[in-house]
Amino acid sequence: MTYAYFFGCVIPSRYPGVEYAVRWVMGPSGLKLDVQDVPEFSCCPVPGIFYSTDRDTWLALAARNLCLAQRGRLEVVTVCNGCYSSLLKATEYLSEPKKMGQVNKVLGKVGMKYTGIPEKSGDSGRRIFRPVSVRHFVDVIHTDNVMLELANNVKRSLSKVRVAVHYGCHYLRPTEYTAIDDPNDPVKVDDIVKVLGAESIDYEDKLSCCGAGGGVRSHVVELANSLCEDKFKNISSEGADVIVTPCPFCLLQFDNAQKTFTKRGIPVIHIAQLMAIAMGADISKLGLELHNVSCNPLLAKIGEGAK
Amino acid sequence: MGEVEKVFTSGLAEKLSEDKIITEDDLDPEFAAEIIRYGGKDVMTCLQCGNCTGVCPISLKIEYKTRTTIKYCQFGMRKQTLETRWVCATCYRCYEHCPADLNPAELMIALRHIAIREGIIPPFVKVAATNLLQYGMTVRPDEAMIKERVKMGLPVLPQTKPGWEEVKKQIVTIIQTTKYDRLLGIAPKEGSE
Amino acid sequence: MTSPESKKPEEKIGVFICHCGTNIGGVVNCEKVAENISKLPGVVVSKDVKYACSDLGQEDIRKAIRENGVNRVVVASCSPRLHEFTFKKCVEGAGLNPYFMHMVNLREQCSWVHMKEPEKATQKAEDLVKMGVDRSRLLTPLTPREVSVEKSCLVIGGGISGIQAALDIGDKGFKTYLVEKEPSIGGHMAQLDKTFPTGDCAICILAPKMVEVARNPNIEILAYSEVVDIEGYVGNFKVKIRRKPRYVIEDKCVGCGVCAEKCPVKVPNEFDCGFGTRRAIYVPFPQAVPLKYTIDKEHCLHFKTGKCQLCVKACVNQAIDHKQEPIDIELNVGTIIVATGFDTYVPIRKGVYKYWEYKNVITALELERLINAAGPTGGHLVRPSDGVEPKRIAFIQCVGSRNIKLQHKYCSRVCCMYAIKNAQIISEHTPDSEIAIYYNDVRAFGKGFEELYHRVREDYGVEFIRGRPAKLTRDPLTENITIRAEETLLAKITEREFDLVVLSVGLIPAAGTSPIQKMLSLPVSDDGFLQESHPKLRPVETAIEGVFICGCVQSPKDIPDSVAQAKGAASAASTMMIKGKHIVEPLCASVTNELCVGCGLCTEVCPYKAIELKEVDGLTKAVVTEALCHGCGTCAASCPQHAISQLQFTDDQILSELTAALGSTNGAKDSAGGG
Repeated sequence: MTYAYFFGCVIPSRYPGVEYAVRWVMGPSGLKLDVQDVPEFSCCPVPGIFYSTDRDTWLALAARNLCLAQRGRLEVVTVCNGCYSSLLKATEYLSEPKKMGQVNKVLGKVGMKYTGIPEKSGDSGRRIFRPVSVRHFVDVIHTDNVMLELANNVKRSLSKVRVAVHYGCHYLRPTEYTAIDDPNDPVKVDDIVKVLGAESIDYEDKLSCCGAGGGVRSHVVELANSLCEDKFKNISSEGADVIVTPCPFCLLQFDNAQKTFTKRGIPVIHIAQLMAIAMGADISKLGLELHNVSCNPLLAKIGEGAK
Repeated sequence: MGEVEKVFTSGLAEKLSEDKIITEDDLDPEFAAEIIRYGGKDVMTCLQCGNCTGVCPISLKIEYKTRTTIKYCQFGMRKQTLETRWVCATCYRCYEHCPADLNPAELMIALRHIAIREGIIPPFVKVAATNLLQYGMTVRPDEAMIKERVKMGLPVLPQTKPGWEEVKKQIVTIIQTTKYDRLLGIAPKEGSE
Repeated sequence: MTSPESKKPEEKIGVFICHCGTNIGGVVNCEKVAENISKLPGVVVSKDVKYACSDLGQEDIRKAIRENGVNRVVVASCSPRLHEFTFKKCVEGAGLNPYFMHMVNLREQCSWVHMKEPEKATQKAEDLVKMGVDRSRLLTPLTPREVSVEKSCLVIGGGISGIQAALDIGDKGFKTYLVEKEPSIGGHMAQLDKTFPTGDCAICILAPKMVEVARNPNIEILAYSEVVDIEGYVGNFKVKIRRKPRYVIEDKCVGCGVCAEKCPVKVPNEFDCGFGTRRAIYVPFPQAVPLKYTIDKEHCLHFKTGKCQLCVKACVNQAIDHKQEPIDIELNVGTIIVATGFDTYVPIRKGVYKYWEYKNVITALELERLINAAGPTGGHLVRPSDGVEPKRIAFIQCVGSRNIKLQHKYCSRVCCMYAIKNAQIISEHTPDSEIAIYYNDVRAFGKGFEELYHRVREDYGVEFIRGRPAKLTRDPLTENITIRAEETLLAKITEREFDLVVLSVGLIPAAGTSPIQKMLSLPVSDDGFLQESHPKLRPVETAIEGVFICGCVQSPKDIPDSVAQAKGAASAASTMMIKGKHIVEPLCASVTNELCVGCGLCTEVCPYKAIELKEVDGLTKAVVTEALCHGCGTCAASCPQHAISQLQFTDDQILSELTAALGSTNGAKDSAGGG
């Protein structure tokens, strides 16, 4: 299966370092997975705005993205919880023939039609349509052979680094759609952190919300910051060196909210950036100096010095 | 004077009003059905156990209580749900823990749909949707970031390449077909291709 | 039974259109229907009657049979579910085979659903009766069969329900076998402390009943045994039971307990929910019946290492025998009562209530052992984490019940009351305790329940908080638990600290029920409990004749209700055994041997194991066990050779109705002008 990169909106325009990290980790310098770019991918569309205001528009825009993947017979790999939840939910909605028909009427105006990816079914040789597969970056990494490959490729020691993993809400819930991890006891990102040699710490309310999603950060930023402050208090009481998350919006939230309630923020990076650091990538290309909360303490701890 | 004393001696804080009784005129009997139409589940099966409020991170911080909103919806109290329509973070914890298998987060989304159609549109929604029409992405590409990307050796942002016009046209067509632009009262800015 | 194709004497059909007061007559023009029907060939009597089921109406039918020579009766009235039996008996009373009586439903299927269209309803009524008349021509006389019923009963499950059922049946003089898989009878009731609403000590009222069972000459207790196979049908069940080896010779063991004193192995005690310990040779509790020791093979040193004969040496009666083997016995019984009871719901790991993670969160059954005077702490309630007496205790209701997400949609019925009664017991024992019950609804429905609910609030100050706890956190130093919940009546989120949290867990079907259910093909309700024949009118019978259910295996209930239901099941089983014979309805499948090729497809689809392949005159043929056959017709539909017909619902009979409905009656002019 060939994967297609889906970076969404926040990463390319606000945290390009994460895009570099993902490309480096999945590409020829890293795990050597078979990945392609699809330049026509647009906004997923962002659930906090489009899913909240008009489901039909949201579904049509999402289906457009899925049609592009369908055309190339690609499996979509997202690096953002929001994109993951949006596109995955869209595939669930589209599995209903009536909904698919309605969306295709709209897509017909732009010359597209969502059917799913055709393939031959096992014995009878009949042609069936498999829904376009949407996967989260973490799920793609957390497979046996890839984890093994990862373990063998750790070039930098992260042995004393205390990592606080923040999964983010749309990775874990709603379980009707996402099924990557146990919503009460997720392990995949923790496993990746451990394989990279760092220590994944446990902290109070690990699975609670960062406060950014659903339009809360855009609409009532004080409320969002207050939720983030709760998380920060729990994390810092366990003495973490870095917060790692698989979602760029949570990343943005932690990166921007901390200055409103503390002077000594904890650096926050994407899981792909942590992987890139561990696997020996060029740290100057990871865009860490673009983060609002300085990553220098983290870099100092792993012996890479201040920039 | 002590705090308690001040309250006792300063007189009535609220205005006397007979409006405090809620009568049928204040209620909308079709509210629950409208919510089902917009994707919320049947609120009438809610037992009001309060589990959703207990797990909700927003309920902890402000007056808003998830369960009370559902009660308003059951009862048909449209007006009282207005202020709650844009504070839900859609973290779906309420859905995870609801014993009656309801989805209060989806309910909030249904309420947002209703609010939009009543003309109550928060400014950030308009901004994001306009960005989508104009740039094909909800986040505007930043000159400074484009320079950073060159430094990192990343491929050029698709939005800045000529092929993106086709993508924008498709997005505009889709949005116009679903009449989303009319719903929000937005249009691609004059002068954009 | 005559085959449908043979020549019959000329049919004389009597048709009775019932008004049912205004139920039918108010919509359907019964006189008109009766008049039109009288024109059909073969109809010698066609009349409308006010109430066919009344004595007058029935006399009309009998008169028609006696005086007009009617030999096929069509009663067009209400649903057969109500009066089919009445009319069958009526027809039989006049000397006609009851299976020549056919009912047509003009009420539920006509007048009641077309109340606003009387003309169309009348037309439909006429069509329906025409269909019935044509079908009646093809009816065949059937004879119910009689099977004998063994005067013995098997009760599966030795809890309070099984014990009560066995006592009732034994007292009536029937041989009763009571099978129980644990080493002693008594079930969960033996684990409870005091019972609601009166505060009776559970084992004090249970133990005398257990002793009574042992003393009753008609009851044979087969403890530490399991049912492995059941074959046969009503009145004649062949049951295979495996008696598990205790490694103790029952006849020699006097229950003195010296062996247990000497045994060096200590194992967590299941009866005490893991809180105390027992030895590898043990009785589950002191009042066990039968009072015989059992060796737990998994933990016994002798089985693990070959050494250690301490118990053997200690026993003065030489009752220990490590070489015992399981013994299989076969029983022949007439009726079976399933009373396998319940298990309690086990909360999930890493769930909201943190049952597995926090020491001071326990289930209600564990609490019963901790407050029980015969329990591991001698009745002093202590916290699992430090053995200190808790003062602030919270009960959380509806754990594992009323929850669609967990697939336990039902209410477990007993949890509100047992939480209330436990609150009372703890308050009595520890007067300065502060108890809070987090509830969703308080269900105090039974006799004396509401009074107890009032009493715990008035006399003991128990606080009732309406709200479902959303989060439990633990103080790492004190192991106290903080509960966060929205108190819905205050509309505020509150956090309170407690020393001990008790989860009021719901009841789920016992694990041992499933193999029994499969052996007997018993239907299961949506909630997982065994299904009764009719939720209101037949609560102890099942779809399988001769098999009855009682107690929590049917649905969660408290002790008074379990005892009442057990008595009901015993009575139902006894009725069958007193009669000594049982009438089997002849509405079952019938195989035409000449057409059957022995392919066996029917045996694969039968839900009741009622049809088997057997040797008949040297050839393999399908043979129906009529007592097991429910007449569902699945085999008849599946047979590729059309060798099976469903009596009273043969292809010809059903097709005749279709033909009548579509307009052409058997050769005669259609007076109503098209169907």
